[in-house]
Amino acid sequence: MTPNFSTIKIAGPAGSGIKSAGQIFSKILIDHGFNLVDYSEYPSLVRGGHNTYQITFSNEKVFATHFNVDLFFSVYPNHWQSHQSEFTKSTLVFSEEDFSNIKSKATFINLPLKEMADQVGSPLVINTLCLGVATYLYDLDVQKAKDLICEAYQKYCEINLNAFNIAYSYAEKNFSKFQIKIKKPKKIVKMGFNEGNEASGWGFIKGGGSFYAAYPMTPATGILHFLANKQTEFKLTVVHPEDEIAAANMAAGAAFTGARSATGTSGGGFALMNEAVSFCGIAEIGMVYYLVSRPGPATGLPTWTSQGDLLHAIYSGHGEFPKVVLAPGDVDESFELSHTALDLAAQLQTPILVVSDKLIGESSSSTKYFPDIEVKINKGKIVNEIKGDDFKRYAFTKDGISPVSFPGTPGGEFLCNSYEHNEFGFSTEDAVLSEKMFQKRMLKTKTALKICPKANFFGSKKAKKLIIGWGSPKGAILEALKLMDNKEDFAFLQLKTLWPINPEIQTIINAFKETIVIENNGTNQLVTVLKSQFDFNPTTIINKNDGRPFFPEEIIDLLTAKK
Amino acid sequence: MINYRSNITPTFCPGCHNFLVYAAMQSAFNALNLKTSDLVINFDIGCVGNMADFFKTYAVHTLHGRSITTAMGEKLANPNLTVCAIGGDGGIYGEGLNHLIAAARANIDITVFVSNNFLYSLTTGQTSPTTPKGARTKSTPLGNVSEPLNIVKVLKSVNSNIFVKSVDAKDIQEVTKNFKEALEFKGFSIVETRQECVAFGKQLKA
Repeated sequence: MTPNFSTIKIAGPAGSGIKSAGQIFSKILIDHGFNLVDYSEYPSLVRGGHNTYQITFSNEKVFATHFNVDLFFSVYPNHWQSHQSEFTKSTLVFSEEDFSNIKSKATFINLPLKEMADQVGSPLVINTLCLGVATYLYDLDVQKAKDLICEAYQKYCEINLNAFNIAYSYAEKNFSKFQIKIKKPKKIVKMGFNEGNEASGWGFIKGGGSFYAAYPMTPATGILHFLANKQTEFKLTVVHPEDEIAAANMAAGAAFTGARSATGTSGGGFALMNEAVSFCGIAEIGMVYYLVSRPGPATGLPTWTSQGDLLHAIYSGHGEFPKVVLAPGDVDESFELSHTALDLAAQLQTPILVVSDKLIGESSSSTKYFPDIEVKINKGKIVNEIKGDDFKRYAFTKDGISPVSFPGTPGGEFLCNSYEHNEFGFSTEDAVLSEKMFQKRMLKTKTALKICPKANFFGSKKAKKLIIGWGSPKGAILEALKLMDNKEDFAFLQLKTLWPINPEIQTIINAFKETIVIENNGTNQLVTVLKSQFDFNPTTIINKNDGRPFFPEEIIDLLTAKK
Repeated sequence: MINYRSNITPTFCPGCHNFLVYAAMQSAFNALNLKTSDLVINFDIGCVGNMADFFKTYAVHTLHGRSITTAMGEKLANPNLTVCAIGGDGGIYGEGLNHLIAAARANIDITVFVSNNFLYSLTTGQTSPTTPKGARTKSTPLGNVSEPLNIVKVLKSVNSNIFVKSVDAKDIQEVTKNFKEALEFKGFSIVETRQECVAFGKQLKA
């Protein structure tokens, strides 16, 4: 039977075009109608080291990249060495080396990259040479490949096409027996190809976002780059200020004037933003914080992945105030929760955090085509006309949300206050009023429960076991369930709102005797959160905390081992 | 005369120079006919920051040191607004110095008023970035080891295109004139009023 998925990986030092090749090949596959998920690994340096880019693609929906690789390119010798555990008996490994004495279950093939690059006249084309070979091996449309190579390389189109042709002809002549069979998609749907960070950016734009301030920090910088590039087209104000403290407070200032506003960072930067989160809490400023996590503590593992900041997000900011923490599980959800977060910020007038991680933020996949999606925007309670001069910005209301006026509106003048305050905004130290104002704000948590995104439930309510998770492991879990023989045994609950916890979560969980929590962190933070809400004792806890994401094969092993 | 005042009575210490600053701000706003709805004042944390309650305009009582960044966000998001920030030597030169330098470099069209009394006073009299070297304060009983910051010199070297002045708070006409010129200036402007703290200033004379 022809398989319906395949995984290709390319590896080499930083600066050798590993990511470019991977992304171009992804676009070629999408042009053929394939669904795909990419994953790349790179160290925190600009040249040298060891970078990888891998793609798992299929004519059906793909949720995560696989661990096992079918086709491997090492653009310089030896970049396959550390990946031998990913090889199977059907793996093809291409590198420019003498493989006559190699002992491995995989098939190793010498690829004369240097000779071909000399023929082209540039050592820079080695990545495109690999594209030529891969296009042949998967029997893909040559014209589509060439078009996308030209689109990517612009003025270097010709030299790269030359490389592509040379490699393709070489493969045609020498590698016909290695061609890989895979089911091709029957129809081609219009898809996008985005990283999670880009999807967050598209969600921000489509959700009416107009102000973004951020200080660069891996792996959140992609949002800043994306929005900075779109600022003219979509009339955005995008600022890179002196530090994260400035970024967050600027975004808060912008939100005060009525802009749909956000900032973004990773854990270390978010630590600096904590004071602003707290400020937004008491001053009732609705804005969005994108927190794209990497492993800490401190500088940690800058270019790797982790879900270690969930509690940091939930408990961010000193003092007690309502906040919402959302977590997308994949790139499409990064789009969805990004515009949802802007709506929630406007509706609830309090900080809204969107927590993802390096795996989602910096991994590309085939997605919905975001530019074509229209989003209905909820602006919350805004007053545009005010009579008299006794406008109460912080008026007591049943849902805790008071109508807000923005500068420029006569009669709406008020003090937006970081001190405890009365209904007008003026400072107070009165015991009764302070308690009442705190209670008013906390009412917003109840309102939030009604309007925050509900959890996703996959599988049957009658399944034997319930997997519980949040964020990026969603992909590996769903991919594992797709591939498993006994998939009917499992259901999967993916929380999208991590704070406040909806009481429905307890009802869903209590219906299962056996529960398995899967998290990409070291201290089971979701378990801590759920335990804080109700009597919760998971049967099994599965963690991974080495900077690497879960792979579907790993999940299958862990789920079957715990049987 | 446009009314910029709230109906809350100022709580500065009797004799505090911030009464003069409060009056000069209102005079300058009024001279420029600024509408309360198009004006945003960002108050830092500190003695002068407490002026937040005495105004009735659009205003933000920000976090300590962040009045300038909050103001920048407002101005960038809505350039039609007149945006100013006010704070002390602690908030603007200490906790927020990085933001002050960044705003001066960007030459953003906001106005900053600094009540420089050479001390942290709301926290009852510790050394500030402008406290003279050697001064014995509550936090430096053995003497302040640092050179005091001369903000006019610093900012002029950062960006010669900005408006930067330091005036004696007691000269209210000069203060008002400079506040007005600063507000009219297209670009970044800052006016420091040099003050004596009536509550804790004696430490500096010892």
